[in-house]
Amino acid sequence: MSAWWTVLRKELVDAFRDRRMVVVALLVMPLVVPLILAGMSALGTSRQAEKLEGTLELPVIGAEHAPNLVAWLRTNDVRVVAGPDDPDAVVRRQEREVILRIDPRFAADWRSGRPAGVELVFDSSRPLQSGATVARLRALLAGYDRQVGTLRLIARGIHPSVAQPLQVADRDVAAPESRFDLAQQMLPYLLLLLSFIGGMQLAVDATAGERERQSLEPLLATPASREAIISGKILATAAFTLLSVLVTLLMYRVVFAVVPSGRMDASLAVPFDALLRLVVVVLPVVLLGATVLTALAAFARSHREAQGYLPLLIFLPMLPTLYLMVAPVKTQPWMLAVPFLGQNQLILRILRDEPIGAGEWLLNLGAGLALVALAWWLAARLYHREQLAASG
Amino acid sequence: MIEVQGLRKSFAARGATIRAVDDVSFEARDGEITGLLGPNGAGKTTTLRMLYTLMRPDAGRVLVDRLDAALRPGDVRRRLGVLPDARGLYKRLTARENIVYFGRLHGLDDSLVRSRTERLAAALGMRDFLDRRAEGFSQGQRTKTAIARALVHDPRNVLLDEPTNGLDVMTTRSLRQFLRELRAEGRCVLFSSHIMQEVAALCDRIVVIAQGRVVAQGTPDELRAQTGRQNLEDAFVQVIGSEEGLFS
Repeated sequence: MSAWWTVLRKELVDAFRDRRMVVVALLVMPLVVPLILAGMSALGTSRQAEKLEGTLELPVIGAEHAPNLVAWLRTNDVRVVAGPDDPDAVVRRQEREVILRIDPRFAADWRSGRPAGVELVFDSSRPLQSGATVARLRALLAGYDRQVGTLRLIARGIHPSVAQPLQVADRDVAAPESRFDLAQQMLPYLLLLLSFIGGMQLAVDATAGERERQSLEPLLATPASREAIISGKILATAAFTLLSVLVTLLMYRVVFAVVPSGRMDASLAVPFDALLRLVVVVLPVVLLGATVLTALAAFARSHREAQGYLPLLIFLPMLPTLYLMVAPVKTQPWMLAVPFLGQNQLILRILRDEPIGAGEWLLNLGAGLALVALAWWLAARLYHREQLAASG
Repeated sequence: MIEVQGLRKSFAARGATIRAVDDVSFEARDGEITGLLGPNGAGKTTTLRMLYTLMRPDAGRVLVDRLDAALRPGDVRRRLGVLPDARGLYKRLTARENIVYFGRLHGLDDSLVRSRTERLAAALGMRDFLDRRAEGFSQGQRTKTAIARALVHDPRNVLLDEPTNGLDVMTTRSLRQFLRELRAEGRCVLFSSHIMQEVAALCDRIVVIAQGRVVAQGTPDELRAQTGRQNLEDAFVQVIGSEEGLFS
């Protein structure tokens, strides 16, 4: 029996007897990740619907100057209330999302055919909270503007199309599955994060922990080579992480099957074969994470020091997601070879049900596994350092 | 049989170089118990670590059964049973599982590991805790498990770093008896200690180390003759040059 296999089996037995580790990796994480996504999606969908379809309560300052406009707003499901004295402060304090102020000269301008002024008071730094409401109000005002403008042209005997040189129509080519929302953007990140550092506990326990417990020195006194020992530990970490990822994906499937589909974005309900493809995509990340964690834990002097690297490792899988958020570039082939970025893109494409070519798979998996090999080599070198065991 | 020739090792610590082992040579023969005696910090642990290839010597040579440790570290480790200074167990595994793990790492098949474990457990008196998890073991139970795990591959040479550290009187007595049995089986037993009485009670040959150097070696009788002292304790104090750290 090879030494690495012996080490792998022992580390897994050891890990499965650590009840806290098992509960966190195989129960808490697999529940938390789908629930976060389901919660975000359900909340986002319902809030969006509420904002677009519910009655909009709108404070209006100077409503008496434009009774027709106000009446028109009322027929469009807007409940007009009296506006505050200091609209800027009220909006800044987030008591209102948007306030409409009607210019005192509105009536005079209106009668003489000059553009009459209305003002929207809102805070553009809070697009998530007020963006939909502001857009809805804008659309209502534009509608009124167009309607009255058309009537005026007709009254003057001019065809309304004269004032409409352009006709702009929207045609969204996105398939229904690729509707993009925040929850869907979070899924690749959470999945990659879980794959990358899900084995933290085991990796640290198996190296830094082993040294702290003083069991590393006897282990290194056996004929087992250090490469075999570290390979066993890396593979044990990877196997445990993979199990955690698998359970998470299955729980994800269950959560999205249980929650009524109308309550959230259907694009998040992933079919089984897509789940399998997701597992293949994250496999290099799981191996890379296990290797990097094991190397770091071998390098660190203690549990505590090893865990100090955690914030850095959490940040790493986030980088490509952030990059894609600020620079949503067209997908280039080379991106598939970049760790995390490539996986991120493939996950999104699997979620959108877009086809992935054999060459793309090969590039992504090949680059990922090459990086794993490099990390493994570094980890094995670190494990050969004399200081490793001789810390006493 | 273990031969050590001109072993040296220094460490860099905060800019200064510390000579932990400075030209140490000795021999530990089969069928004998050899004691490495020296005060704390004399270089005993570092010497032993070079023997079981955890550290590379800066100079000198280690031969185990005539195999060079620098050239064939794996084969050398296979011929050694090592109880290091660090003797932590896996707390979530039972004593038996701890022993079996090491047996497998030595490449033994499971039936052989099983029979060896039974024999060692009987010899060391481990019956009542063999299948308990190591969490909460007493110092004596931990040491016995660590010794069993070090000897599961039936090595010809046995290295023990301060084996009786922290053990009570009864456990120490049974451990000494066990070491004599190993000697009777013709094995080469080398152990380090800073406790003079321990070495005097057990050893056929004694190597006295102080400040990284061998200051005297030989049988107890030879040491008495070299120093001209009848009392072994006085002889030690004389060769080391101070009484510091020699008594527990």
